[in-house]
Amino acid sequence: MAVTKVVEIPYTLEIPVGPQHPALHEPLLLKVYADGEEVVKVEVYTGYNHRGIEKLAEKNSFYRNIFIVGRVCGICNNVHANCYVRALEQILGIEPNNRAKYLRVLAMELERIHSHMLINAVMAEMIGFESLFMNIMLDRERIMKAKEILTGNRVVGDYMMVGGVRRDINDEKRDKLIKILDKTEERIKYYKNVFMEDDTILKRLVDVGILTKTDVVKYAIIGPPARASGVKIDARASDKYDAYGEIPFNVITRKEGDVWARMILRWDEALESINMCKYILEKLPSDGNPVPDEKRLPRRFPPCEAFTRVEAPRGELTYYVMSDGKPMPYRVKIRTPSVNNILNTAHVYLGHTIADIPVILASWDPCISCMERVTVLDLITGERKRIHLKELARRREKWVNPRYSI
Amino acid sequence: MSYKEALNKLVEEGLLNVFGEIKPNRKVYSFDWSKIRELFTKLIDLVGVEGFYVSTIIGTDLINDGTIRLDYYVVFLPEEETVVFRTFLPRESPEIDSLVDIVPGVLAGECEAYDLLGIVFKGNPALKRGFFVPKDVYEKGIYPLRKDAKV
Repeated sequence: MAVTKVVEIPYTLEIPVGPQHPALHEPLLLKVYADGEEVVKVEVYTGYNHRGIEKLAEKNSFYRNIFIVGRVCGICNNVHANCYVRALEQILGIEPNNRAKYLRVLAMELERIHSHMLINAVMAEMIGFESLFMNIMLDRERIMKAKEILTGNRVVGDYMMVGGVRRDINDEKRDKLIKILDKTEERIKYYKNVFMEDDTILKRLVDVGILTKTDVVKYAIIGPPARASGVKIDARASDKYDAYGEIPFNVITRKEGDVWARMILRWDEALESINMCKYILEKLPSDGNPVPDEKRLPRRFPPCEAFTRVEAPRGELTYYVMSDGKPMPYRVKIRTPSVNNILNTAHVYLGHTIADIPVILASWDPCISCMERVTVLDLITGERKRIHLKELARRREKWVNPRYSI
Repeated sequence: MSYKEALNKLVEEGLLNVFGEIKPNRKVYSFDWSKIRELFTKLIDLVGVEGFYVSTIIGTDLINDGTIRLDYYVVFLPEEETVVFRTFLPRESPEIDSLVDIVPGVLAGECEAYDLLGIVFKGNPALKRGFFVPKDVYEKGIYPLRKDAKV
């Protein structure tokens, strides 16, 4: 068939950003197509950092996997380990004592506080507020110190074990933790006020990237983005795992559904977590040693399936573990919240300007922006016609890869 | 309609069968893979678009049985109750209809299950090797989570 048309895509207008980019905090490529300033299409490309952890877990023993899953994510390593360990406990029929359950919740809530502080700091950086970024990161170090006091390490704690936790705390450590929490609470309240009142922040975040309640459920969005759109989902409240059934806390929701609401909700959740941590430290039960004897743990896992959920800082994290009676698990499936929140939100960017892209991206984590325009040259008539990408995107079945544009 | 009533209705209509339980207290229902679209369309009619979301799709290669087990973990709202819809596909040609046009939240799960296990979701335009799997593995035609795959 003779060629009748040539589609010229000026390469200077296509700026692929990622998988490594100063503004992109994940090894991910997002391609943004824009008509002038208006975003008309977003494509998400993954596969840059697949480590094959599920396959690796099938090749290692149940107990050794606790250390492997703790390295899935640096920020929320304790929630990963907790979710996996609880699945093993379900298979074995073991239940830790109350002190261990409280300490587990303490470790996970400290993680939530520093994770929420981190993403709010990143958001400040995204909108060019670098001094705020540095201040939040400085205060976040206090929580990292608290995590070190509790787990023995400021990042990867390896704190969870079947039937309990790896370290107990004494009164001295408890007092230190309460002091740190008091100081941090004051700072978080201050930062929340900055996010509530600062004109620059309000102008950049309010009414940007609105996600409706229906879209949240339809696209399976979870965690703070879902709660900021008025959907009250929280695995802590519904599954009441570990000590969450006994520790009083509120599931915070907002109605706005925009980027600003997501960030304020994270500050509110951090404050709620601080209250939970203080409650734990004040009412820590003394019903036995929370550190089980590793040598006495069962070595045989009966054939069984377990599916556990945990509310990670970024949303619902799930683990499926299947045992067929052999020393290694038959299947381990991990579903992290970012899979849903990043891959299923390509539609949220549409209609916004390029300047809004980093802000919306930061509200789930990564960042990218690029622009492209197309000229169609008719070889028969010699006519040159400029087609806006908006129109081209409507005809995307023919022209561009329809990936992720549902 | 509450999710329990909806599930009972689907069982009565023969779209779901009570299968068992996964710990802790997750009810499992089996369904015929050829009726997946009918099942989810009916579910939307009964509980509404805001009544549930598909949390994850888990494929498991049961090599000794010659099947691939496919589980849809559906979370019903507002109770946040997780229920499992389970089906079995022939291992030689695991194919099932895609739900991406009626339940858009399954996109990531379908792409992942295709790339790692080779389950084809008919009608999903985004299926692609290399979604997660590195090039050197998928170029050899290997689906890493198959039990006979050596990576």
